[in-house]
Amino acid sequence: MPKDNELTLLSDDEIVNFITKGYHIIEPFLPKKFHTEIYKKLESLPTNPGDRIYKVVPDLQKIYSNNAVIRVLTSLLGNKYSEASHKHCHKNHPGTRSQMWHQDSLNIPALLDGNNRFPDHIKSVLVMYYPQDVESNMGPTALIPGSHLFKSAPDRNASHGNFRDQVIATLKAGSLLVLHFDIWHAGTANTSNKIRYMIKYLFERKHESKKPSWNHNSSENQRILERLEKDEAAAIQRSLIPKRNYLRMKMWNNIAGDAALKYEYHDKWAGAWPKPNNIVL
Amino acid sequence: MTLKQRILYLSAQSTDPRSPTISQAIHEPIKDSIVEIDPTITDIDYKSVHEAVIDGWKIVHFPDQRGSLSDTEIEVLGFQFILEKIEEFNA
Repeated sequence: MPKDNELTLLSDDEIVNFITKGYHIIEPFLPKKFHTEIYKKLESLPTNPGDRIYKVVPDLQKIYSNNAVIRVLTSLLGNKYSEASHKHCHKNHPGTRSQMWHQDSLNIPALLDGNNRFPDHIKSVLVMYYPQDVESNMGPTALIPGSHLFKSAPDRNASHGNFRDQVIATLKAGSLLVLHFDIWHAGTANTSNKIRYMIKYLFERKHESKKPSWNHNSSENQRILERLEKDEAAAIQRSLIPKRNYLRMKMWNNIAGDAALKYEYHDKWAGAWPKPNNIVL
Repeated sequence: MTLKQRILYLSAQSTDPRSPTISQAIHEPIKDSIVEIDPTITDIDYKSVHEAVIDGWKIVHFPDQRGSLSDTEIEVLGFQFILEKIEEFNA
């Protein structure tokens, strides 16, 4: 793995974006022909290789070990992270219906509910790679920004349908979608006549960070604090906003090591009086 | 033609039917009709439950005010109203 100084790490603002929204998009960094070849290789697979996808399509390593990916993973997961055994190739045929909104789960029986949620930390991220362009009718991944801070039960949320602030990941071939493991997402309906592939890798933090693993500038701390308090993701009920802000702050502090933010009271209400209403009494 | 029930789920930001909606799903009384996440839409139809009522929908279920407290273990986003419209459909 390259040393820190060989990578252009994420900025404070990009980290805040990830904490508040739960996702980051990596634009294509290899030629389109490369991705076309991977698509052809996937088309030739007789069965789903499951975790062994990296063995049957070895060129995937050129993507996941590229500095364009490493700089993001290092920034989010610290200087030492690992590639989990779990990998998956999703083959979304024409006519495939939409999934329900869900959080991924490794269904680990040793855990009380089969899941391991970390709404106040970045312990693991999903990295979804799309070897072809994904148009809106090809079953793009949908996600709810900011939902990684909350625990979902898919059956209790099944009646939601479309969220006003949902994000539909229509992407160019070779793009990668980096997701907080707990974000609510779904594969949507493929109404096109094209197969849409998505390959999913899981990366995990190995150590707690002693200092920020991204390009941090402590002189910006007050502005960062304000963004963590005020930035909007998807609309939610007001009663969840204090919890949301607490988890955002805790997530920053859990990944920032000695650059943890200290919350100190500051007057948010001073300033201009409200403008008079144009009502004739 | 027979009268049938159309069902509309709207989740709002509060129990106030005039508060902004955050999600929507419409169930049509048509065999094999599908309700799912639509990646092609740019907005949902109603900005509030009240707007849907103006459009002729009738509220048949009001959200439980105890349903979305901030310290619950499982989060259900928004406060869900269920509405209906009775309309004529081919049998």
